[in-house]
Amino acid sequence: MTDSQTAVRIANMDKFYATFHALKSIDLEVAKGERIVICGPSGSGKSTLIRCINKLEDYQAGSINVLGTELDDNLDNIDEIRRETGMVFQHFNLFPHMTILENCTLAPMLVRKQPRVEAEAVAMEYLTKVRIPEQADKYPGQLSGGQQQRVAIARALCMKPEIMLFDEPTSALDPEMISEVLDVMVSLADEGMTMICVTHEMGFARQVADRVVFMADGEIVEQGAPEPFFNNPQQERTKAFLGQILGH
Amino acid sequence: MAKTYAKPGILEQLRADYFSNKLDAAMTLVFGTLVIWVVWNLLGWGIIHAVWTQENREMCGHGGDGACWAVIDARWRLILFGLYPFEEQWRSAIACIAIITVGILSCVPAFWHGKKLAALWITGFAIYYVLMRGGVFGLSEVSVQDWGGLSLTIFVFAAVTLLGMPTAIIFALLRRSDLPWISRTMGLIIDSIRSLPLLSIMFTFAVVLPFVLPSWLPTEKLYLVVIGYALFFACYQAEIIRGGMQALSAGQEEAAKALGMSYWQRISYIVLPQAFRNALPPTINQLVITFKETSLVVIIGFFEVLASGNAAYGNSDWNFAHIEVYSFVGLIYFIFVFSLSRYGAYLERRLAVATR
Ligand SMILES: Nc1ncnc2c1ncn2[C@@H]1O[C@H](COP(=O)(O)OP(=O)(O)O)[C@@H](O)[C@H]1O
Ligand SMILES: [Mg+2]
Repeated sequence: MTDSQTAVRIANMDKFYATFHALKSIDLEVAKGERIVICGPSGSGKSTLIRCINKLEDYQAGSINVLGTELDDNLDNIDEIRRETGMVFQHFNLFPHMTILENCTLAPMLVRKQPRVEAEAVAMEYLTKVRIPEQADKYPGQLSGGQQQRVAIARALCMKPEIMLFDEPTSALDPEMISEVLDVMVSLADEGMTMICVTHEMGFARQVADRVVFMADGEIVEQGAPEPFFNNPQQERTKAFLGQILGH
Repeated sequence: MAKTYAKPGILEQLRADYFSNKLDAAMTLVFGTLVIWVVWNLLGWGIIHAVWTQENREMCGHGGDGACWAVIDARWRLILFGLYPFEEQWRSAIACIAIITVGILSCVPAFWHGKKLAALWITGFAIYYVLMRGGVFGLSEVSVQDWGGLSLTIFVFAAVTLLGMPTAIIFALLRRSDLPWISRTMGLIIDSIRSLPLLSIMFTFAVVLPFVLPSWLPTEKLYLVVIGYALFFACYQAEIIRGGMQALSAGQEEAAKALGMSYWQRISYIVLPQAFRNALPPTINQLVITFKETSLVVIIGFFEVLASGNAAYGNSDWNFAHIEVYSFVGLIYFIFVFSLSRYGAYLERRLAVATR
């Protein structure tokens, strides 16, 4: 794989919370256009891993390279990488004091210096894509969880990122709202977006993932294409986890 | 099922609210009588039997049971303008109105932009200073020492808030810095200043500081006292803002970071607007306290509105009329503080709409 095709390259990376070894020599390479699903038991380090990719968390050893930019202490590099990666959180994290439209236009106007008119046009385009253009003038608190999460996706997309990171985007949702969010993610995948998703939605993983990564205790235990991964897991810990989550 | 109820008449409503059982009825009667009695006596004293003008002042205090508003008629200029030269007091009046106008305008949402607010306040203080100080445009010069009355109270309050608020924001940000030595030092400074009485800070700034400052720095007592007071205000307000920030989930800043927003963008668009909204009630509270404590500048020899009031009845002509003078000064305080509180309530309603 040549560098121009690599979206993310994590090499030999270690992460500590004080003395707690949260991630242990992680190696992970993601190609452009690739869809990765990360799963694993709670506390295994999934969130920590994807939060390292846009430096919401520091790491202590090894290296992370995103779209050819080295993620080090250089603030310009961090800014560059954050502009090119969108992130969707478990708890949406919309800005409650701004309307849906303002949520979507704020960063493009401040960070990308887009004129307001242009930013609003782009925002409406993405709000239409996530199927809630009619909510543009409401405030986040007036929307359902599923709607808020779709706005959060649209907000991230308005920055026109190359890579989208999802951290359990459906686990805070009521069951009947999960599919509306997953539908948006599937259509995003169909358009060729590079996606790294932490999720336990195994149906989604089977449908769109190019690769499933299983983590436990801060390590990548096993990874592979969905079919072999689900049907023929190699590691005991993977088998145990799949047994629990798939209910057999 | 939709059912329509006839709107109860006023009498029925009153009965339901105040006479629904024996205890309610008894309480209503007792407190109702008390209120009517107090109001009736106040009206009698303050209006019906009151003496209104200086011409009738002989009627004051001679066994009459009415208020002697004649003292206000005679001394209102002293109360409002202090020792400011009598013929020039129109300047003090316009200067005071200028600051109040700027204050009211900056409460209007249409002016809530950094540049507009800055332009507004710079204009306001420029007008105030030129008019009060004089020495230009053919206005005679008046020493700062002679500023006084309501004009001085308003000036001190406006200047303290305006210097103190940005300082408070910076203190609050330093206080939650990631670098422990910065946040600890800031915490130490805040806690130290808060543990001192305001009176001693004013005294130190106005009286002690001029001796230790290099001589090329301004040593005008009034300005030094305003700076000291602003510092004191900033320490309290910083903790109020910090409290407002703590109510924000960490996810708010993370989302802003993930969108590529810089530190100052995150602070000014995400953190501060929400922090101020969370901290609105204690902030209004702090402003009210600050307004009332401007009266402490009297200890360095300035006659703000309360001290001017003391002076107004403090001669043998009027020394029986202190209740009337204090009522009048109290009314002035009430108008300001009550407006401030109502404005706070308006802001809360307005901001609540945005979160519903
Ligand atoms: N800010 C933090 N400080 C200390 N420990 C943390 C912090 N965040 C996460 N951890 C610990 O790191 C481990 C991995 O956490 P996380 O990445 O959130 O797991 P997951 O997302 O897989 O559930 C957990 O044991 C958790 O307790
Ligand atoms: Mg997690």
